[in-house]
Amino acid sequence: MNARNVCRLSLLVALGATAASAMAAAPIVGDAKNGAVLAAACQACHGAQGEGTFAAGFPRLAGQTAVYLEKQLNDYAADTRSNAVMAPLAKALSPKQRADLAAHFAGLSPPSTAAGSSAGAGVLARGRLLAHEGDEAKQLQACGNCHGPEGRGEAFAAPYLAGQSATYLAAAIKEWKSGARKNDGGQLMAAVANRLDDADIAAVAAYFESVGPLP
Amino acid sequence: MSDFSRRTFVKSLGAAAMLPAAIAAPALTVAASAGAATATAAPDTPFYLFFNAEEVAFMEAACERLIPADENGPGALQAWVPNYFDKQLGGGWGAGERLYRSGPWQEGTPTQGYQLPFTPAELFRTAIRAINAEFSAQDKAFNALDADAQDAYLKTLQAGGKDLGGVPAGVFFELLLKMTVEGYFADPVYGGNKDMLAWRMIGFPGAYANYYEAIDAHGVAFVREPMSLAEDGHGHMHPANIPASL
Amino acid sequence: MTQVMKAADVVIIGVGMVGSIIAKELAAAGYKVVGLERGEPRFTVPDFQGPGVHDELRFDVRKALMQDNTREAVTFRNQVAQTALPIRRWESFLPGTGLGGSQVHWNGQTYRFQAQDFAMASHVRERYGKDFLDPDLRVQDWGVIYADLEPHYDRFEYLLGTGGKAGNLKGKIQPGGDPFESPRSREYPTRPMKEHYSGAMFRKAANSLGYHPFPQPSSNLSEPYTNPEGLKLNTCVFCGFCERFACEHYAKAVPQTFILPVLMKNPNFELRTGAQVQRINLDSSKTKATGVTYIDAAGREFEQPAALVITCSFALNNVRMLLLSGVGKPYDPASGTGVVGRNYAYQTMSTVASFFDKDVIVNPFMASGASGTLINDFAGENFDHSKLGFIGGSFIGAVNTNGRPINYHPVPPGTQAWGKGWKKAVADHYNHTVMFSIHGSSMAQKQNYLDLDPTYKDAWGQPLLRMTFDFPKNDLAMAEYVTGKGVEIGKAMGAKQVVGTPRKGPYTITQYQTTHNTGGTVMGDDPSTSVVNRYLQVWDVPNVFVVGASNFPQNATWNPTDTIGALTYWAIDALKNKYLKNPGRLVSA
Repeated sequence: MNARNVCRLSLLVALGATAASAMAAAPIVGDAKNGAVLAAACQACHGAQGEGTFAAGFPRLAGQTAVYLEKQLNDYAADTRSNAVMAPLAKALSPKQRADLAAHFAGLSPPSTAAGSSAGAGVLARGRLLAHEGDEAKQLQACGNCHGPEGRGEAFAAPYLAGQSATYLAAAIKEWKSGARKNDGGQLMAAVANRLDDADIAAVAAYFESVGPLP
Repeated sequence: MSDFSRRTFVKSLGAAAMLPAAIAAPALTVAASAGAATATAAPDTPFYLFFNAEEVAFMEAACERLIPADENGPGALQAWVPNYFDKQLGGGWGAGERLYRSGPWQEGTPTQGYQLPFTPAELFRTAIRAINAEFSAQDKAFNALDADAQDAYLKTLQAGGKDLGGVPAGVFFELLLKMTVEGYFADPVYGGNKDMLAWRMIGFPGAYANYYEAIDAHGVAFVREPMSLAEDGHGHMHPANIPASL
Repeated sequence: MTQVMKAADVVIIGVGMVGSIIAKELAAAGYKVVGLERGEPRFTVPDFQGPGVHDELRFDVRKALMQDNTREAVTFRNQVAQTALPIRRWESFLPGTGLGGSQVHWNGQTYRFQAQDFAMASHVRERYGKDFLDPDLRVQDWGVIYADLEPHYDRFEYLLGTGGKAGNLKGKIQPGGDPFESPRSREYPTRPMKEHYSGAMFRKAANSLGYHPFPQPSSNLSEPYTNPEGLKLNTCVFCGFCERFACEHYAKAVPQTFILPVLMKNPNFELRTGAQVQRINLDSSKTKATGVTYIDAAGREFEQPAALVITCSFALNNVRMLLLSGVGKPYDPASGTGVVGRNYAYQTMSTVASFFDKDVIVNPFMASGASGTLINDFAGENFDHSKLGFIGGSFIGAVNTNGRPINYHPVPPGTQAWGKGWKKAVADHYNHTVMFSIHGSSMAQKQNYLDLDPTYKDAWGQPLLRMTFDFPKNDLAMAEYVTGKGVEIGKAMGAKQVVGTPRKGPYTITQYQTTHNTGGTVMGDDPSTSVVNRYLQVWDVPNVFVVGASNFPQNATWNPTDTIGALTYWAIDALKNKYLKNPGRLVSA
């Protein structure tokens, strides 16, 4: 358990103040132990410890914040994030079970299973530039502004990218770009993805996988 | 800190290997012991570049009275506020960065703001020298007083009317207090707010900030480890001896 | 040895918001435009990127984006009888420098002035009688009316992608918007920002008192937007590092996001940074400008000849440029004659702090520069002044722009300035306080003006600008009255302690108030009381135009940027459709 997993949105609804919003309306505290039991169903794709299956593009879940994971499961269940495999699985879970699974995976930190990138130095350098600095010609800001130093994630705003499967990352960016995925606030990711061409998508995805998982 | 020390050590070793043994030996010894001493843990006291020992004694004691450690949170010492002063006064800010410095000099109205020729570094040096002289004339030292006596002395500075080698005590106190608050709450990259202790006390989440989703969670506490400008992908804080520059 | 450059059609002094918009329009119309910017070239990438851009000490406390006052300061005094001394560190107001100008560090608060504001003198005379005003005040009409500017406000807001809710569409009051606003021809280009908790509390309390709360118009974007120039702006993420900072996300409307990428591609435009303009050069008749002289970053002197000179720098620097160049007659407060430097005004800023118990969690650090909720019930001429003895007003708003802790740690009055008591108060109130901004008008007054300092010089050896200013009694009375209304709203929110701090005199440069410095090259119909005519053309030198907040005869309740933008497009219209087709005086004196 690292320090960053200690993040949480505490529900302390103000007395006499306006009603808490939807975000605060249904707080569910995930039970990681119960999540561990449920996670048996996730193993085939996401690995026994949530390490993912990189070549197939199944993402690493381990160490992602519970807030993020729970939201994705809820979005699959509500069809606000579409995926033919995940949707029926998520729908079969109760909101409590989704929170339990999120809590379980948030607490794991297995080593990376990345096979080592075949991307060349030039591609990785381009990816690193986009991650840390952006590209003015494309009016594209750095990933780190939201995804944290080296893409280690920024609770609660954005998931980690470091050590994530490049295949998954590239596919995810393309989903944002095509409009197939739009379950973030403010359409921030669509704005970024729309400015990336295929080469840049491949570069930034390869770069973040190459960084490896960060604490 | 430890990585940095190790690199220094290795570099020294390499240089030493090219020197005659008689000269190399002492250098190697120094580097090795310094490396050995710091490779295991970050130092628990600041390394002062600007202040001399007498100045450190005053600054550490005074800052801790301005923001004392107690049950509400860290004090200025624990947060390394004197280290913040040291790096600021030793850098561009201390030398008068962003301070219009042409004369003629004359006392203005309070509404006209600071009108002294001293740079911040000169102002602190001059004032602390006068304060320390005042105490040593009585065979005392500010830092040796008890807390109440220190507070009482700081209040005489705050009240103004005293001349500290040409620096009006009120002007000195005002800048001392202002910079103490800066060092307490500034990003740790500047040498104070150690371990983001002051941010933790009030719940400020730090430099990495994106609240698009959270902003409509009205009235809900946002509890997250604060994040500094200085941290890397592993959450390590880079060495903090960075003077502010514009 | 001065190097003479190839003549241009137009030379622009200062490539900030105004300069970049005018340059874009005139370059697109086929004119050769040279833009002279004293500061650095800078762009969102790499210059504004995180995490470095979120550095409170560097940008907020040390003011890294501001005019370097070791080289160019301003001197200040409250009264003519005093000796002005240099503002040795910026505190009260913060002129920016560099490509994009002060707009790079703005908050994005984007208000129109109301129709009455443009006819202030006639309006007050008609409503309250000719003897109502303090005789020291110098309230004037603008020479333009709201209807002249409406299409230009509209164009500017659509350039920026301003978000909000219209309160008056072509005369029809709209629910949810500001019912006091003058008619808009269409809705805002983007929706309002999400509401912060402090705004939601304010809204409820203001409604309970019968006021008319509405979302603050914001040019930090509430949603993705493509502007008419084809440039895309992103959604603001409420990072809480807006005013005094640049935006890393392309989410704040600044020249770098709304116009520069188009301008920089036009071969008719040439940008020269590090170019410190020393003066506008006049021919022997003193009624025609021949160009400008500037010194580059390496200290070399250049002359840039041009058929048309447009001064587009920060308000104070516009005034100084005319004074340094001998363009227009300087104002003399003793005789009341002359115009350049006359009618310098500011903004009258007060606050209300509402302190809550720890169960009310405000999260002040979640903030955009312009996502407040406010009322205009006590703004401008929206309330009857006949029994109040002053004119003007303020908006009252819960405008939470940040929770950066060096500068934001509110404590109740009576708290010790240091020690255990201070620390406890900071810890107790940081996350449990709501601040209101009471943002008020500023009337021009006979004794308040700008001229050149007789003693202090800039790094190039030229006299600094000298500011003589104190708050008119009228404005302090206004601040007292409206702050009282703010306190009532704070109480209606249920705060355990509400503290109103109405602005008091004397004006001090030691405390930040606002960077809304106005006047000094004011516009009008009468050359004896204005520097430029209604098209912003200098009366005395028709091939010099001046555009900026320096054109305001007095300052209205609201932030000036939207009105500067409207004046910019208004001037562009006059330049393209009148002046450049037939150069000469657009209004006969």
